Amino acid sequence: MSYALRRFGFYLVSAWASITLNFAIPRLMPGDPTAALVARFKGQMSPEALRALRHAFGLVPGSTFTQYFTYLAHVARGDLGLSIAYFPAPVTDVIGTGFGWTLGLGGVALVISFTLGTLLGVVAAWKRNGRLDQWLPPALSFLGAFPYFWLAMLVLYLFGFTLHWFPLQHARDPDLEGVSALSSALDVARHAVLPATAVVLATLGGWMLSMRGAMLAVLGTDALKLATAKGLTPRRIMWAYAARNALLPSLTSFGMALGFVVGGSLLTEIVFSYPGLGYLLVQAVRNQDTPLMQGLFLMITLSVLAANFLVDLVSIWLDPRTRA
Amino acid sequence: MTTRARVALLFVAGLLAPLGCRGAVAPPPGVLSISVEKQSAWVRNFNPVAPGEGARFPTRAGVYEPLLVFNTLTDAYVPWLATGYSWSSDHMTLRFDLRAARWSDGARFTAADVVYTFGMLRDHRALDQRNVWDFIQDVRALGERAVELRFRRVYVPGLADVAQQMIVPAHVWRAVADPVTFANPNPVGTGPFTEVRAFRNQVYELGKNPFYWQPGKPKVEALRFLAYPGNEQANLALVEGDVDWAGDFVPSVERTFVRRDPAHNHYWFPLVGSMAFLYANTARAPFDDVRVRKAISMGIDRPKIVDVAMYGYTRPADGTGLTDAYAAWRDPTLAAQGWVKLDVVGANRLLDEGGYARDRDGVRRTHDGRPFRFDVEVVNGWSDWVRAGHVIAHDLRALGFDVRLRTYEFGAWYTRLGRGEFDLSIAWSVEGPNPYGFYRWLMSSRTVRPVGEMAGGNWHRLGDAAVDDLLARFEVTDNPVQQHALMTQIEARFVELAPAIPLFPNPAWGVFSTRRFEGFPSAENPYASLSPHREPERLIVLTTLAPKVVAP
Repeated sequence: MSYALRRFGFYLVSAWASITLNFAIPRLMPGDPTAALVARFKGQMSPEALRALRHAFGLVPGSTFTQYFTYLAHVARGDLGLSIAYFPAPVTDVIGTGFGWTLGLGGVALVISFTLGTLLGVVAAWKRNGRLDQWLPPALSFLGAFPYFWLAMLVLYLFGFTLHWFPLQHARDPDLEGVSALSSALDVARHAVLPATAVVLATLGGWMLSMRGAMLAVLGTDALKLATAKGLTPRRIMWAYAARNALLPSLTSFGMALGFVVGGSLLTEIVFSYPGLGYLLVQAVRNQDTPLMQGLFLMITLSVLAANFLVDLVSIWLDPRTRA
Repeated sequence: MTTRARVALLFVAGLLAPLGCRGAVAPPPGVLSISVEKQSAWVRNFNPVAPGEGARFPTRAGVYEPLLVFNTLTDAYVPWLATGYSWSSDHMTLRFDLRAARWSDGARFTAADVVYTFGMLRDHRALDQRNVWDFIQDVRALGERAVELRFRRVYVPGLADVAQQMIVPAHVWRAVADPVTFANPNPVGTGPFTEVRAFRNQVYELGKNPFYWQPGKPKVEALRFLAYPGNEQANLALVEGDVDWAGDFVPSVERTFVRRDPAHNHYWFPLVGSMAFLYANTARAPFDDVRVRKAISMGIDRPKIVDVAMYGYTRPADGTGLTDAYAAWRDPTLAAQGWVKLDVVGANRLLDEGGYARDRDGVRRTHDGRPFRFDVEVVNGWSDWVRAGHVIAHDLRALGFDVRLRTYEFGAWYTRLGRGEFDLSIAWSVEGPNPYGFYRWLMSSRTVRPVGEMAGGNWHRLGDAAVDDLLARFEVTDNPVQQHALMTQIEARFVELAPAIPLFPNPAWGVFSTRRFEGFPSAENPYASLSPHREPERLIVLTTLAPKVVAP
C-alpha cells in the first residue's frame, strides 16, 4: 500500500511540473495569434480587422507571474479559456468535439493491437522456429516500417474507394438519426473499421516482437526449468509462469501508449476525416491558439500520468516484488 | 491451418460481416451539400459579427444579410436589404431605403435593426471589423423604412464598408450580454437559410427561412455541411458525389474531376481572387531603390510560375497588378508596360546602371560593397507559393543575387511580414469593390507603419505623396468618369514606383456538379462569382440555385 501511495505522490509532483511547463512553453513560441487569424482570410478581411481582433482576445501584456497564478486557478476550476482559432468557443467545447472519438478509436485500436500482438508473441516464442515464428515477425515488421498515413491511404483506397466495403470518411453516417442504439453502434463500428485497421497494422509488429523477446528471455530462466521439473502442464507453464513474467515490460509500454492515445493519431484522423484531438492540436499550433494548445497538452500529460499510475497498480498485482 | 484457427477466422469474419458494405451517402433530395470550411468537427457558432472565423459558413451572407451586395462579375451593387442608396449633394450623409423584409422568427425588419447594429459596432470596437466608426458620425432612422448615416468627412469608398455590414435583429441582440463572445446557437436572420435543422459533430444542416423576403426563394430545401479536415478529403467526397458545390482548390481538375462525369462535373476558376505579390521591404536598403525592384520583377519568369506553381490555372500579372475583378478599371496601355515581363538583359542593365556591379564571384555588390544577399520568405506548406518561390529564387540567382528561399510556419511568417522584418516575401493583397483599397494598401503613406509594429497591409512600407493626393481626391467623388481618370493616374504611379512585384492573380476556386442541382454560375453564365468563399456575393448564388427538375 505504501508503495502505491509513494507512486501517487510522485505523480502529483509530475502533474504540477507538467502544468507549469504547459504554461511556459506556448509563451516561448514566436508569432502573434491574431496575425494568423487575419492571414487565413488571405486578403478577404480588411487590415483594420487586426485591431478589432486584438481587442477581442484581450491580448494585453500583464506580468507573467500574475498570468501564472490566474492560469493555475482556472485550471483548478476546469476553465481552459476561450479558443482563438474557434473564437469565441470555450476550449473545453472544442476539445469535446474530438475527445470521445480519439479515445474510442485510439483506445480500441491500441487494446486490439496490444492483445493480439502479445498473444502472437507468446505463441511465437513458445513454438520457437515454428511456422508462425518464421513468417509473422518479418511480415509485421515490414508493415510497421511503412509510414502510418501511407498504410491508412492504402487501406482507404483498397477497401473504401475501390471495393466500397466500408465507408470512406467520417465517424458516423450523416443521415442516421433517431435509430436504435444497436444500429447506431454498428454504424460507428463500421466507420471505425478502416482507421482502426490502419493503426493496428502499423503497430502490431512492435507488440509482438517485444513480447516474443521478453518471453524468450524468461523461457531460459531456472524458474521455468523448475516448473517443468515439477511436472506442471505445458499450458500452465506457458501462460502462468512465462507469459505473466514476460508481460511486465510490455505493460509499461502499454501504459505509455495508452496515455498518448489522447494525443490522437493525426494522420489517420485526417486521411479518414475522423474527428479527434490530433487534428485540433495541429490547428492550435498553426493558428498560435495558445489556450487550445495548453488545453490539449494538459489533457495529454495528465492522461499519460494517469495511465502510468494505472499500470503501476496493475504491476503491483502482477509482480509480487513490488509489494514488499 | 488447425481447426481451431479456422473457427477463429470464421468467427472474426462473422463479426465483421454486418459492418461491411456502405449505404447511400448522397444527401437526401433537395439538400445541397457544400464544402467550404476545413474542419474535422463542427463547433456550433452562428455569430455574424464576431471577429475571426469562428462562425460557421454561411452565417455571414447566408443566415444574415447586408444592405447591398457587390457583384464582382457585373461590377455593380445589387440592392439587398436596402432597395437603394443615395448620397446628399455634399456627400456627408448616406441614405439607405429599406425593404419590407422579415426576420426568420416572423418579426418585421425595420430601420431600428440597422441603427442597432451600427450602434453595437460603436459600443464594441472588436465587432467593428471594417472600422466604419472611423468615418461615420452617427446613424439614425428616418421612419421605419430608411436610415441615414452622417459622415465625419467626405469618404465615398466608405459605402462599401457600410453597405456590406451584416445586419442583426435588435429585438434578439438587445438581450445578448456580450455580443463579442456570443455563440448565437439558434440564429434569427433575414437570410435565405436560417433554420438549424441538425447540428452534430461532423454535419450540420441549414433549412429555409420561412419568411424569406424574395418570393419563392430559396428553391433549395436545405444546405448540408460535412466536416472535411483538408482539401484532399473534400476532393475525395466531391469525386464520390457526396458534395455538390465546393470552393476548394482541385489539382488537375480536368483529369481528376471533370473527366469522371463530363456531363455534370464542372469548374470555373475566374481570376478574381487577390493578386499574389512578391513584396520587397523598402525599409531595407537596397530595396528602397526602384531600379532594384524593377530589375527583380523583370528577372522573374512568370509564365513558368503559372505553369509550375499554379497548374496553368492563372496568367502572369500585368503592369497594373490588377486582377480581373477590376477589369473595368484597368488602363490597357499601363497594363502592357514591360516591367512585369521577363527581360534578363534589361534587368541586368538596370542593375548595372544602379551601381550594383557583379564581383568576380558573379554575385552583385550593394553600394556599401557587401554581397547582394537576401531571403525570399514563404509559408511552409503553402505548396503553390513554395513552388513559385523556387522559380523566383532560381531566376534571381541568374541576375547575380545571392538568394535563399526560406519557409516559415504560418504565424511566424506573418509576424515577420507584418512587422516589416523580411527582405522579400510572397503574400496576397487587399481586395475590395474597386481598386481604391488595393492601391491604398500598396502605396498610401497613411498605411505605412513603422518597422516593428504589426501592420495589416503595406508590409513593404512604401508611401507616396502623389498617390496620397490622388486617393484623397478619389475619396470625395462618386462620379464614375472622374473616378476612372483618377484611378488611371494611380495605376501610372504604380507602374512608375513598382511598390511591390505582382506575380499572378489568384483564381476564385469553384467546382460543382449539376447531377442534383442547377443554376450555378459558370463561364457560360457568369451572373456572379461561383466561389462560395466570396462574401457577400454568394447570396446571389444561394438564392439562384434550384433542385434539378427530373424528367418523368
